Amino acid sequence: MSSTLNLLIGAALGCNLLALASSRLPSMIRAAAIQGTLLGLAPLLMDHEVGWLVALVAAGTILVKGIVIPYLLLRALRAANIDREERPLLGFIPSLLLGAAATIGAVAAADALPLLPEHAASLIVPGAFATLVSGFLLLIGRAKAISQVCGYLLLENGIYLFGMLLITATPLIVEAGILLDLTVAVFVIGIIVDRIQRAFDTLDTTKMTSLRE
Amino acid sequence: MIPLLLIPVKLAAWLMLAPLLPGIINKVKAWVAGRRGPPLLQVYYDLARLWQKEVVLSNLASPGLIVGAAVAWVALVCAAVLLPLGPSDSAVGFSGDALLFIYLLALSRFFAAGAALEAGTAFGGMGAAREVSYAVLSEVAIIAALLTFALQSGSVSLNQMLAPSAGPGAVLLAGGLFTVLLAENCRVPFDDPNTHLELTMIHEAMILDHSGPPMAAALHGAAVKLLLFSVLLAQAILPLGELAWGRGLALLAGMVVVITVGVGLVESLLARLAFRRVPLLLTTAFLLCLFALLTAWKGTAS
Amino acid sequence: MVSQGPLLLFAFLALLAGGMAGLRWGRCWLISTVAGAAAALAAGIWVLATRAVWEWHGPCAIGGEIPVFRLDGVAALFLVLLAVLGAAATIYSHEYWSEERHPRSACLGRVWWNFLLICMGLVLLCANGLHFLIAWELFAVSSYFLITLERSRLEARRAGWLYLAASHAGTLCLFAFFALLAARTGSWQLGPLRDHAELKPLFWVALVGFGLKAGMFPLHIWLPSAHASAPSHVSAILSGIAIKMGIYGLVRFTSWLPTPEAAGWVVAALGMVSAVLGVAFALGQHDLKRLLAYHSVENIGIILLGLGFAMIAQTYGGASWGRLALAGGLLHVWNHGLFKCLLFLGAGSVLHATGTRRMSRLGGLWRAMPWTAGLFALGAAAISALPPLNGLISEWLVYLGLFGAAGSRGVAAWAAIPGAILLAVTGALALACFVKVVAVVFLGAPRSPAAERARECGIWMRGPMLALAGACVVIGLAPILFWPALSSAVAAWAPGWAADAAPVPLRALGTFHLALVVVAGAASLALWHRARRNGLTRGPTWGCGYAAPTPRMQYTAGSFAGIITEWFAWILRPERRRHDPAGLFPRNAADHERTPETVLERVVEPCGRMIMACSTAVRRLQHGRIQAYILYLVIGLAVLAMLAFAGGHR
Repeated sequence: MSSTLNLLIGAALGCNLLALASSRLPSMIRAAAIQGTLLGLAPLLMDHEVGWLVALVAAGTILVKGIVIPYLLLRALRAANIDREERPLLGFIPSLLLGAAATIGAVAAADALPLLPEHAASLIVPGAFATLVSGFLLLIGRAKAISQVCGYLLLENGIYLFGMLLITATPLIVEAGILLDLTVAVFVIGIIVDRIQRAFDTLDTTKMTSLRE
Repeated sequence: MIPLLLIPVKLAAWLMLAPLLPGIINKVKAWVAGRRGPPLLQVYYDLARLWQKEVVLSNLASPGLIVGAAVAWVALVCAAVLLPLGPSDSAVGFSGDALLFIYLLALSRFFAAGAALEAGTAFGGMGAAREVSYAVLSEVAIIAALLTFALQSGSVSLNQMLAPSAGPGAVLLAGGLFTVLLAENCRVPFDDPNTHLELTMIHEAMILDHSGPPMAAALHGAAVKLLLFSVLLAQAILPLGELAWGRGLALLAGMVVVITVGVGLVESLLARLAFRRVPLLLTTAFLLCLFALLTAWKGTAS
Repeated sequence: MVSQGPLLLFAFLALLAGGMAGLRWGRCWLISTVAGAAAALAAGIWVLATRAVWEWHGPCAIGGEIPVFRLDGVAALFLVLLAVLGAAATIYSHEYWSEERHPRSACLGRVWWNFLLICMGLVLLCANGLHFLIAWELFAVSSYFLITLERSRLEARRAGWLYLAASHAGTLCLFAFFALLAARTGSWQLGPLRDHAELKPLFWVALVGFGLKAGMFPLHIWLPSAHASAPSHVSAILSGIAIKMGIYGLVRFTSWLPTPEAAGWVVAALGMVSAVLGVAFALGQHDLKRLLAYHSVENIGIILLGLGFAMIAQTYGGASWGRLALAGGLLHVWNHGLFKCLLFLGAGSVLHATGTRRMSRLGGLWRAMPWTAGLFALGAAAISALPPLNGLISEWLVYLGLFGAAGSRGVAAWAAIPGAILLAVTGALALACFVKVVAVVFLGAPRSPAAERARECGIWMRGPMLALAGACVVIGLAPILFWPALSSAVAAWAPGWAADAAPVPLRALGTFHLALVVVAGAASLALWHRARRNGLTRGPTWGCGYAAPTPRMQYTAGSFAGIITEWFAWILRPERRRHDPAGLFPRNAADHERTPETVLERVVEPCGRMIMACSTAVRRLQHGRIQAYILYLVIGLAVLAMLAFAGGHR
C-alpha cells in the first residue's frame, strides 16, 4: 500500500517540476490539475480503512482541484485572450534545478525529522515540503497572474499533503471549508483577471507596480 | 581465451549491423507518412558508394580532417567494444571502464568537432559549437545514470553495472536515457537529420565539408553511435545479463528494434524544438536520471 | 655511492652557478641549469622509488633556528615535477627570451629564473617553519620580478603589482599560521603532529594562505592577469609548478596536522566551485594566455576535489576510495604541470610568431607552424582528459574515488554524487573550450596579416614541447609505471592507508589506451590511403553561395562559446558594447564583448575603493600643522582622562 502511495506522491512531485518547467500557461494549469487529482486519490491509499468521510474528501478534492479550478482558469485564459507564453522572472532551467534541489533536500531532511515510525518510510512529509517550495518558486519567479494562481494551488497541495498525516483527525468541515475557500478564490481571480485585462491590456503583474500611488 | 576470440565476432556484428538502424528509422517514418520510403539497406549502399568516391578537401583544411574523421570513428567503435552484449560480457572490461566509456565518446566528439572546424566555415562552427555545448548536458545525464548503475551493482565495470535491471527507477532512467539518445544522435526534437537549412543543423552542419571515405566514416560512426546508445538503454532497463545466451541476445535485439522504432515514431510525430528550448529538455533528462539515482539509493537502502 | 644529499647539493650549486653565469654567458647558464635540474630529478625519483626519507640537519643555526631539510614522498613528487618543468622551460627560454630579442631583460631574467627555481626547491625541502617562510617569501618575490620582466608594458606592471599584493596577503596568513603553530608546539620544527587536537583551527588560516597561491576560486584574482602578462616561459613555470606550491602546502599540512571535521567538505566544495567556474570563465576569454590561465583555476579545482575527498575519507574511514581520490589528485598535479606547461609554451610560440595573443587575430596557423599546432592539439586533448593521454588517468582515479564514496552510501555519498556530476560538467566544458582554442588559433584561414606571416619556432623551442608531449603520452599509455611513485606519496600522506593496497586496474587501462592508439593510427592511415587512391582534390570551402567570404567571417571564439557563456552569464557578467547598423547603407557597426574578472572587478576592487575612501578621509587629519597636532594630543588626553575618571567611579 505504502509503495503505491509513494509512487503517487512521486508522480505529484513530477508535476511540480512540470509546472516549474512549462513555459505555456495551459500546461502549467494542467500540471497543477493533475497534481490535485493525484493527491485527491492519495487518502484512499492510506493505511487505514476507507470510511465514507475519507471517500468524500477524496471525491471533493478531485472534483474541485482536478476539474473545477482548471476549468475556471482555462476559461479565464480564453476569455482574457492572454499571450500564452510565459516570460519568467526566474529562468526555467534555474527554477527547475531549484525545484529538484528542494525535492532532494526535502527527502534528505525528512530523515532527520522526528516522525512517527509509520510515516518514516512514506514520502508524505518530503513531498509536502517539496510541493510547498515549488509553489513558492512559482509565486516568486513568474510574472503572469494566472501562473501566480498556479503557484498558490501548488502551495495549497503541499499543505493538503501535510494534512494527510492527520486525515482521520481533521474534521470534514475543515477540509470542505478549505476547498470552498479555494474555489471562491480562484473564481474571484478569474473575474479579476478579466477586469485587469480589459483595463490594462496586460496581465503582467510586474507592470502593476505603477499602481502603487 | 574464448572471450578474447569473441571480440572480432562482436566487432563485426557492431560494424555490420549498425547501418541497419537508420534504415529502420527511415522505414518507420515513411510508413507513418504513407510513403514507401528508401530501402532498408539504403545506408549500406550509401556507404559503399561514398567509399569509392574521390575526396574534395577545402583549401583551408589540413590532413587533420581525415585523421579527425578516422579517430572519431575509432573512438566510437572502441566505446562499443566496452559494452557487454546481454549475457555476453565484453572481454575487455575492467573496473572503471564505465568512465572510459564516457571519455571515449568525448574523444569522438573532440575529433568530430575539430574536423568540422577544419574548413573554416561558419556552418561547421555553428554545428560544432552546438554539438559540444549540448553534450555538456547529456554527459551530465549519462554520468548520473552511471552513478545509478554503480549504486545498484556496487561496481564500476560496465559488465556488472548493466547486468541487473534498473530496479525501481527504471521508468525514470528509460525516459532520461532515451532523451539523451535523441540528443546525442542529433535526432528530432534536437536536430532534424533531414533538414536542409544549414542554420538549424547540428550533425549535418558538422559534416558539410566532408566527402568520400571521410564522409563514409562520419556516416557509419553516426550509425554505430545510435546502436551504442540503443544497446546501453536496452541493458540499462532490462536484466539481460541474468538471462541465458539465446534468450538474452534475442531480447536485446528485440529491444534495440523497439527503441529504434520509437526514435522513428518520435521523429514522425514531433517537431524540432527551438534551440533555446533544448537545454531545458536536456536538463529534464538529467533530472530524470538523478531521481533514478535517488530512487536506487533509497530503494536499496531500506 | 651517491645519495640524495650530494645530488641535491649539486643541484643547488649548479643552479646557483648557472644563475651567476646567466649575467654574461647564456650557454653556460643553460647547461648548468639543466644539469642542476637533472640532479634534482634524480634525487626525487630516488626517494619515490625507495620510499626512503632523506633528512639533513644543519650544523649551525640560521636566524636562530637549526635548518632541517627533509625529502619524503610528497615533497619528492613535487620536486620531480619542478625539475622536469624547470629544465623544459629553461631550454625553451634560451630561444624564446634570447638576448637578440630582449637585450635589456634576458640576462636579468636568467638570474631571477634560477633564483626562483632554487627558492621553490627550498620550499619543498624546508622542514623548519621559519626557513619555510623565508623560502616562500623569496619565491614570491622572484616570481614577481619574472612577471614584470617586460617592465615597459603597463599591463605587465599592473599584473605584477596585483600578484605581489595577493601573494603578500597569502604570506601574511602563513606568518600567522607558522607563528601560531610555533607558539602552540613550542618549536619551529615541522613534522607529524596529528594527535594535537588543539591545532585543528589553524587549518583555516593555512587554507587561505596556500589557497591564494594555488589560485582556488574566490582567491584566484591575481592569477589570470599574472599568467597572461608574464613571458610565456614564466607563465609555464608559474602555472605548471608555482601554483602547485600552494597545493603542496595544503597536502603537506593536512597530512602533518589534524584537520577539523568540516575541512574535507570545504576543500571538496572549493574544488568543485573552482573546477566549474574556472572553465566557465575560460570559455569567456578571447585572449589565448588568459584563457589558459583560467584553466589553471579549473585544474586546481580537480586537484582540490581529490584532496578534499581524501580528507573526507580520513574523517569517515574510507581508505579504499580515499586512496584513489588522493592518488588521482596528486597525479593531476603532475599531469596538469606537464600539459599546462606544454600549452603555455605552445601559446608562447604563437605569440613569438605572430605578436598577438588575441584569438580573433589568429587562425590557420597549422600551415605555417605544423609542429606547434600538433603539439598544442595534443596538449589540448590531454587537458580535456581524453584517452589515451595523461589527463584521463588522473581524472579517472578521482572519479573512481568519487564512485567509491558514492557506493559507500554513507555521509560522504552526499558530497560524492555532486562531485562526480560537476567533474563531468567540468570535463565537457573543458572539451568545448579546447575545441574552440585549437580551431580558432590553428584551423581555418588566417584572420590577420600577422597570422599569415607566421613562421615555425626553432628547435630550442620545439624540443621542450616535444619532451613534455612525450611525457603526457607516456603517462597515458603506461600509467602503471607511475603508480609506485603515487603510492609512495599516498603512503607519506596517510601512513595507515598503504596497508590495504588493492591493485588498481591501471594496467588494463594502459593496455586499452595502447590498443586505441594502434587502431586509431591504422584507421587514419587507411582512410588517408583510401582518399589518396580515390583521388584527392582541393577546392574552396562551400560558402552557401556567398561570393565574397573573408577570413574575418569565420566563426569566432566568442560565437563558438556563446551558448555556454550564456548559461553562465549570471557569474561571468559579460560587458557588451553594441553599435547596431542603422539605415539603408550602414557604415559602422560594432559589437564588443569582454568577460571581466568578476571577483576582482565586482568584489575586491569596490571593497578596495571603499577602504581607500575611508583612509583618505582619515588622512585629512594629517596635514603638517604642529598646532593642530597639539590639539589632537590635548583631545586625546582629555578623552583618556574622562575614560579613567568614568572607570574609577565604577
